[in-house]
Amino acid sequence: MSSRKPGDSDVLSSLYSMIPLLFLLLACVELSDAAAAVDVYRLVQYDISGVPFGSRLAALNHHAASLHSSAGADLSRSVLIIPLRELNISLVKEYISQKKTLGGLLLLLPQMFNFESGDMAVTKDDIHEMERLKNLLVELEELLIHANIPYPVYFAFEHDDIEAVLADIQRNDVNGQAATPTNGGYKFVVSAPEPKKLASPIMTNIQGWLPGLKPDGDTNQLPTIAIVASYDTFGAAPALSVGSDSNGSGVVALLEIARLFSLLYSNPKTRGKYNLLFGLTSGGPYNYNGTHKWLRSFDQRLRETIDYAICLNSIGSWDDKLWLHVSKPPQNAYVKQIYERFSGVAGELGLKVELKHKKINISNPRIAWEHEQFSRLRVTAATLSGLSSAPELFQRTGSLSDSGNLVSEDAIRRSIKLVAQSFARHIYDQQEDMPVFADDSSLAVDLSYVRLWLDLLSRTPRVAPFLTKNDPLVAALKKELAEHTHEVNVQHELLDGLFTFYDSTKAKLNIYQVASVTFDLLLLLAVGSYLIVLFSFLVITTRGLDDLISIFRRPPPRKSKTG
Amino acid sequence: MTAFHFFNCAILTFGPHAVYYSATPLSEYDTLGTSMKAALVYLGTAIVKLVCLANFLKVSENDEFDPYQESLKALIGLVDVAGIYFALTQLTHRNISQNHKFQAVGLGWAFADSILHRLAPLWVGARGLEFTWDYILQGLEANANLAFSISMAALGSLMWLRRNKPKTLIPLIYICALIVATMPSITSYLRKKLDWHFPEVVGFELGSSLVMAFISWQLFSACQRRSS
Repeated sequence: MSSRKPGDSDVLSSLYSMIPLLFLLLACVELSDAAAAVDVYRLVQYDISGVPFGSRLAALNHHAASLHSSAGADLSRSVLIIPLRELNISLVKEYISQKKTLGGLLLLLPQMFNFESGDMAVTKDDIHEMERLKNLLVELEELLIHANIPYPVYFAFEHDDIEAVLADIQRNDVNGQAATPTNGGYKFVVSAPEPKKLASPIMTNIQGWLPGLKPDGDTNQLPTIAIVASYDTFGAAPALSVGSDSNGSGVVALLEIARLFSLLYSNPKTRGKYNLLFGLTSGGPYNYNGTHKWLRSFDQRLRETIDYAICLNSIGSWDDKLWLHVSKPPQNAYVKQIYERFSGVAGELGLKVELKHKKINISNPRIAWEHEQFSRLRVTAATLSGLSSAPELFQRTGSLSDSGNLVSEDAIRRSIKLVAQSFARHIYDQQEDMPVFADDSSLAVDLSYVRLWLDLLSRTPRVAPFLTKNDPLVAALKKELAEHTHEVNVQHELLDGLFTFYDSTKAKLNIYQVASVTFDLLLLLAVGSYLIVLFSFLVITTRGLDDLISIFRRPPPRKSKTG
Repeated sequence: MTAFHFFNCAILTFGPHAVYYSATPLSEYDTLGTSMKAALVYLGTAIVKLVCLANFLKVSENDEFDPYQESLKALIGLVDVAGIYFALTQLTHRNISQNHKFQAVGLGWAFADSILHRLAPLWVGARGLEFTWDYILQGLEANANLAFSISMAALGSLMWLRRNKPKTLIPLIYICALIVATMPSITSYLRKKLDWHFPEVVGFELGSSLVMAFISWQLFSACQRRSS
């Protein structure tokens, strides 16, 4: 006995020393072994003067349920998955208005709204369905953005993995079966920290000057034409809010117009007697707060030199008619002049431009059009837009449905031509039909340039509070504007305190197939009885039945060394 | 709940070893030391095997069955047999009968194998939220492996330790030993060449382990009767 002891303790101690090593090793292995991991995009969360809106939670850990679950089922502890294709908007309305609680909501969007999936060929049959889905999505977004939803709401794109899971869940819900491991009990987990307030959101305005020709050299005395587009967006999911039409199309048009006029202005012969001011403004969705700050930063004298300003907004998906929105009555001489020039050029190009007047109500904080910020400072301005009526707050500011494949390059090209031509007519004081930007000339609208920028903007979410000061997009816009203009300035401004935003806009959803507790209990029972049977079998074969019986007769079994 | 599942899989994987130890006379003769030595030999064998595999085997990117590579692997698998030979014959055991020695060695061998190959995946995988049948199957595989190890040890002790065996049984003993020793290659062949799924492979292993355990048990008791 004593001779064996030291050897044994050696063995044991060497084993013990390995145990911490083993655990150290295991601690390094982070487990993430989900059936599927899906990119999900959270519904925006924000406050307006302290009043909460949007989805108020980010973390998710619940079983999944579908719309097919029985009507009376309690969904307060499950994640409801709704594909947009099957969405019944009145159901969502009901849930929101009656403040029914859910564990979470996951909305599946068709791939055609995914800016990351690249170009999708849209066939003719799809167009009708697409239109329906688009309208539905717009309605849904409007509902979600303006509601206070006390549970996490996520968007995801249709995907093979998640569709298989959804089909499983639906099958179970239809059959009314409880979730079991083999037929699809799924748990959706998003491990996200509590959303934090974004500290002081910053808006970045970029401006570029193209000075006109003045014989005595002081270009500050020259009249100025401003062309402005707001580049940031706001949508239901900040990480998906690319706003190709609103207002990517305006930004693209502005850049192309800057390029065209920089060509003209580089030659002293064609350098006009007007300064051109290009402004890419931020804060568009928030009553054009950035434009407001930008204009305020101008010197009064400088502001007075602005002859007029044209704001570009949503000019990428109109069919036959553009609208010129103004806030001064059409009888106003300046407005009349602008409109006549535009409609004249439009006539030559075979387009239609219609004037629309909307009075400014000073007491109303809502500013629907960018030109209203100019008008409030008594600068003549108009907004050229494909929209016929003024959008409400957060309407047409880059919604989920506003994706690149719904924007027509041709519409943008025609808009660019219209604006550039009417500017040229004003600057060079042309009277009659004399196309400066003819299609086959060196000053033709460069479609590949338009496409390039539209493509970039259509895949870059740009909700102002989530853009940093040195965001690559801002830097790219600045660089591009610097290519075509002189004196590019970048201005950082704080977004006015009414709005508060929260982070965690994007997350990974892990989908786990889970077993129910009952299953584990049954398994324990099975394993336990297997071990008991094994024990009995071994005792009977090696020691005989009597021993087995004696073990049960006299617990605890006394080991008798009689063998 | 997932800890529960981990617990279930753990007792399915490691329970049979404990049951075997406590149910058979092994516990009465206090053969834990022998088992532990066998486990340490297993550890050494595993390292030797690893070195051999790393040196002589190409890493195949695709999971294909390459006869040359597989036969090499089977050859390296024979290191196991050498390990069992060492554990049975070269180690100084306390005075325990051959009957118990091979059981203790087989048990220690299988337990070490389970710890080394199954504990880590179990710890990492079965505690996760995701449910798969894999860990239950892996537990069953551990059971089959226990039966194989003990059969191998039994056949080994017949081959190397027993002098007066019935002449007629000797070829049978060697054939059985060969089958048991090449079992890893056979299962690998089934999985890769015949595209069997994991449940099927485990089923095959369980069935064949039962058959082999029964045969070696009969062989051993036949030799025992003869010598007594």
